[in-house]
Amino acid sequence: MEEGDKQSLGDKWEVQLRKGCLELAILAALWERRLYGLEILRLIESDSELIISEGTIYPLLARLKAIGFVESEWVESNSGHPRKYYALTAAGRHRALEMAAMWERFSSSMGRVLAPLKGIQQ
Amino acid sequence: MSMQQQRIEEYLRQVRSRLRGLREEEVVEIIAELRSHIVERATPAGDSTVDGVSAALGALGDPEDLAREYVKDEVLARVETSRSPLRLLDSLFGWATVSAAGFLVLMVTLSGYLLGAVFVLVALLKPFHPATAGLWVLRDSAADLELSVRLGFGTAPSSGHELFGWWIVPLGLLVGCGLIVLMTRLALWCVSIYRRARPLRGRL
Repeated sequence: MEEGDKQSLGDKWEVQLRKGCLELAILAALWERRLYGLEILRLIESDSELIISEGTIYPLLARLKAIGFVESEWVESNSGHPRKYYALTAAGRHRALEMAAMWERFSSSMGRVLAPLKGIQQ
Repeated sequence: MSMQQQRIEEYLRQVRSRLRGLREEEVVEIIAELRSHIVERATPAGDSTVDGVSAALGALGDPEDLAREYVKDEVLARVETSRSPLRLLDSLFGWATVSAAGFLVLMVTLSGYLLGAVFVLVALLKPFHPATAGLWVLRDSAADLELSVRLGFGTAPSSGHELFGWWIVPLGLLVGCGLIVLMTRLALWCVSIYRRARPLRGRL
């Protein structure tokens, strides 16, 4: 395998990992109150290492809405243009809890598996 | 319209032109949301600046990549949430217009549904046309076996014999409905496989 292929496989893994986590991150961001797209982006960016492209979040929100995990509403703002706010539905809350539990289990078993690598710097 | 507004509208026009397969009201909603995002992102302190607009558009990424994410996600989500065969077919048509895989799944599903419908029809027509409706085995001139499902019209084929007799009524209903259920599941399964396997585009 070429060095470049290895690098791109590694990148792909990272992209998939982040993308997989993004859905949970969005549901979690909406846990306490409704937010619009840019607010969700800023919240996730400031709270975590999930550096997401801004283009990724909107199609994902549309999909979450189509499945019924979030609902949306246009609200006029002081700045002069309307904003589309998203809020969790009951199904979305259920899904968020389910994913969070899955994440806990997954990360603790990964933690055990990765124990031998701890403390070794690249 | 200022230069900056023109740039924003041009970007949105490019996204819009690639949002094929979606319903008009979805397209309007998507464009409105993106416009709202760009305007707010580009104008932290009131007027949109050249740098602000460039940064906002750059962060959203290539209009084609963005449109593709929407089309795939929305169309696939619609397929996945369809449960009745008619709604499934309707959403598969949407998927087929944007992807070769979608077209293939649509064709296979459509063929399966048609065959299923024929079985159900034969079963339903049997009581009215007992002599002709049924599953017939026909022998052609080359003496090869040919299987033919006949509907209850015209005359009985001269060189064949019917299979199952009156059993075609429960069998036809069972096989027909079974095929329709099976094809529905197959299509949904294909969508979920496709969604997981498709290469991820765009940067995160």
